[in-house]
Amino acid sequence: MAPQITSEPRAAAPRSITATRPLLGWRTVDILTIAFLGAALGVAFWGWGVFYNGPLTALKIGYAPLMGLFAGPWFLAGVVGGLVVRRPGAALFCEVVAALVSMLPGTEWGATVLVSGILQGLGAELAFAVFGYKAFGAAVAVLAGVLSAPLEWAFEVVSFPASWADVPVLSVLADGGGWYAEWVPRDKLVYLGAMTLSGALLAGLLGWVLVRALARAGALSAFPAGQEQREIRAV
Amino acid sequence: MQVSGLTWRPFGRREPVLRGVTLQLGPGERVLLVGPSGSGKSTLLRALAGLLETADAGDLEGEVLVDGAAPGARPGAVGLVLQEPGTGVVAASVGRDVAFGPENVGMPPVAMPAVVASALSAVGLGDLPLDTPTSALSGGQTQRLALAGTLALDPWVVLLDEPTAMLDPRSAEDVRDAVAALTGVVRRSNRDEEWSGAPTEGLEGAGGHLVGERPPVLAGAATPTLVVVEHVLGPWVDLVDRLVVLSADGRVVADGPVRETLEIERHRLLDMGIWVPDEGPPPPLEVDPALIAPRRRPPDAVGGSGPAAALTAAPFTVERSTRLLDGTVRTRPAARLTSPLHAAPGTLTALVGPSGSGKSTVLHALAGFLDPTTADAVRVPTPGSGTPLGAVTVPGSGTSPGAGTAPGDLAAIDLARAMAWVPQWSSSTIVAATVLDEVLATSRVLGDVDPATSEHARSLLTTLRLGHLAGADPRQLSGGEQRRLAVAAALLHGPPVLLADEPTVGQDRRTWAAVVGLVAAYRSAGGAVVAATHDRHVVERATAVHRLEPPAGAVEPIRPAAVPLVARCGPLALLVGALLAIPAGVISPHWTTSLAVLATQALLALVGLSAPGPGTRSRGRLRTTGLRMLPGVVAALSVGWSTWFLAGRDLDPALTVALRVLVIVLPSAVLIPWIDPDRLGDHLAQRVRLPDRPVVATAAALQRVHSFGEVWGELARVRRIRGLGVSWRSPSSVAAHLGALTMGLLVRTLHAAAELAVAMDARGFATARARSWWLPAPWRWRDTLLVALATLPALVAVVAG
Repeated sequence: MAPQITSEPRAAAPRSITATRPLLGWRTVDILTIAFLGAALGVAFWGWGVFYNGPLTALKIGYAPLMGLFAGPWFLAGVVGGLVVRRPGAALFCEVVAALVSMLPGTEWGATVLVSGILQGLGAELAFAVFGYKAFGAAVAVLAGVLSAPLEWAFEVVSFPASWADVPVLSVLADGGGWYAEWVPRDKLVYLGAMTLSGALLAGLLGWVLVRALARAGALSAFPAGQEQREIRAV
Repeated sequence: MQVSGLTWRPFGRREPVLRGVTLQLGPGERVLLVGPSGSGKSTLLRALAGLLETADAGDLEGEVLVDGAAPGARPGAVGLVLQEPGTGVVAASVGRDVAFGPENVGMPPVAMPAVVASALSAVGLGDLPLDTPTSALSGGQTQRLALAGTLALDPWVVLLDEPTAMLDPRSAEDVRDAVAALTGVVRRSNRDEEWSGAPTEGLEGAGGHLVGERPPVLAGAATPTLVVVEHVLGPWVDLVDRLVVLSADGRVVADGPVRETLEIERHRLLDMGIWVPDEGPPPPLEVDPALIAPRRRPPDAVGGSGPAAALTAAPFTVERSTRLLDGTVRTRPAARLTSPLHAAPGTLTALVGPSGSGKSTVLHALAGFLDPTTADAVRVPTPGSGTPLGAVTVPGSGTSPGAGTAPGDLAAIDLARAMAWVPQWSSSTIVAATVLDEVLATSRVLGDVDPATSEHARSLLTTLRLGHLAGADPRQLSGGEQRRLAVAAALLHGPPVLLADEPTVGQDRRTWAAVVGLVAAYRSAGGAVVAATHDRHVVERATAVHRLEPPAGAVEPIRPAAVPLVARCGPLALLVGALLAIPAGVISPHWTTSLAVLATQALLALVGLSAPGPGTRSRGRLRTTGLRMLPGVVAALSVGWSTWFLAGRDLDPALTVALRVLVIVLPSAVLIPWIDPDRLGDHLAQRVRLPDRPVVATAAALQRVHSFGEVWGELARVRRIRGLGVSWRSPSSVAAHLGALTMGLLVRTLHAAAELAVAMDARGFATARARSWWLPAPWRWRDTLLVALATLPALVAVVAG
């Protein structure tokens, strides 16, 4: 169970400490921490949803695609979950729990929140997987925030062409689509750009800062992120 | 149990917490483990349970063997009860919680009820219905529930980590009765005995009773070995036969029969700050009153009618309302102050009463966090007026009830000038990054940033033996250190009143002396103290005592409400029904189609929310559903508007997207409120075959979501009374406030997860491979019917499209 720590903590600081092996051997504290973090962030998601709908509605009426700038906080759970537990599935699990919790009190998006949680979590998960669950620095966190956006974006703007009406099976989809199916492609692309930027900053960077702050507060002593802090500042 | 050469250094510490601990515990032996705070007692218990690396990481040497194998070899062989009531609760109902261990070892569900019932009756909870919500239990009942949870796995060893430190005397005695029965000790309860060394003992004068020997917990089970960690020894001496003493650096320094060892080691134990039987309280620490003198005291009353009170309260009641799922509201009294309260300079007012009598609630009302029913019952001097308050403010008496201001109406900064507050959980009061900044936080907000204030702060920290920690992070301090810091931080800016909630409970002799010394110095300098307490020695020092009783009656009998049709369906069907709205929305090509779909959904909703059959009618359901639809309606309007704007002012696409939103959201508003988290977990694991452990963890997290609101409120109150509240005119203060609260909530949440992980692993969760389940997760015909009906809107979309 001993975590992998080099003999010289200070030298190890720039490199990420990985989770204990085997990577898929989730400890109880890993599972519970993801579930609890997800639940707490889910409550925050719900609160953000109220803010997103209230004070930000003016912007929505002005030029709706810019609302993507405020999508980032919803990607936070995936980034934070991945950074804390550092195991395959952590980002996805955390984002899905957060989505589930934020869905229960009732939001303007109904049960689609659960689907969005899966899509966003998969994106964040991809970023950590690309680096083999070995790197957890700020750059990887930003990438996780960025990759949370595309699948969610596709889900929101997808539109099925009217020409499918003649195709068997697919015909039921003809002319249907997601929330913003009726936008012109340029607006959809602006929306993607805004979401990506927001994901990089409000999920990636913010998530990385948050995890570091939690580690410094001594709340992550069971996790690699906490051990990095503790070995640097051993007392 | 054999412990040999156990040494443990957690990462981040240079020195080990445990050093070469070697112990041998025989079957049925009862051991009391003591040591100064920070000596690694709790750590040793976790090591004995094999759970050191469950929620921490470090270097471990030596080994622990139970019956020749590692402690986790047989799940539940070593049971562990944690200090804080509720940290180990895994389920929403009593029966399910006790069954958690048996579930983990795959016990057949038919065998569970008997095991659960005998475990509950062994701890004196046999009369509780199995569906009692765990959140409705008192602290003492919760600790006994945790004990029952370990007993359900037939443990060889039971470990108790200060199981009564956070309980009132009566509840603590109930827990000790349960432990006595478990170990087969016949004892006379010391409810009515003389002072036995514990500061919290003896206030509740309930008649003593004889605890007879109860049958073994589970038929055929041997008496388990018992290890108790405590720093209040008196009540435990009769329950154990061996005493083990750990030193501050984590070594075993004494080990022998309890009475002899207690005699030999008496002075060492007293030096460690341990409450030894037949020893009075320590002398209060001498604190220079000038350091914490109340510099914001109201001027003395003119006219020689005695000193003005800094806070007065007429008798009041605090009511608490609960909104039930079906939309009805139940209101009942939560606390009642029956006589006027008058916090004048130099006084100590004690609020006493059994747990559940609302002592904390009264304190909350005095601080203006809760509204008492007589809205102007609590008064403090109006800021800046310079006019003193009259004497006791009683409505209808001579003095004007309108004098002064209700604390709830004060801005945060004025509230900080008027009073200070020390809550029961001192770790939650932390607002700064270093100990020195923590003490100075409120003074800085109030503008007292002269060198003299800093000098005061440093002297105060030195007096409290925290001087060397001035630059440390307060979150890293021990519980006793945090308690001393909390009182110092509350008093430095010189408020005229201190409200303290159980300021001495669970403290060792050193922290007790420091807190009592601080309070005495503050009073002698003219401060007024109001304390909720069980501590006999604090009550003895009081100038006025208010005895609170649990508010009686007025609880309306709950008449069962008629259950709507949707609530009779399982959680999976409800979830699937809500999700089926997505295809219905997505495949609606035009608003005319959506209109037909929406009409179908509305019709189904009316049928689903109707509640035929017996029970009271509820009027709230449709309104609640309407409220839940409100965000969706707002979204539909704004999406419709922006599409109209972007799509060349064409109404057709705008209506299409707006109605699509409504089609997708309406079924969720109707169905999702009726999903019960525990039942969802049951179904996701047993029906959908999702992995057991993540599902159980998620259900545990979901049933604690409601506690997040309480934590959030508590953190917000602490910040407010320390002058760090928000002003809506300053967006940066709002952002700082929200950031601090979110961070505080996350830290608390993560600690809760780590503690729960230890409790769950002690009950076999780590090795749960083939779990069984307390309740089955049947799929019934009505579930099929709900899903079939929920596909109707999609069919309508296809046909109409």
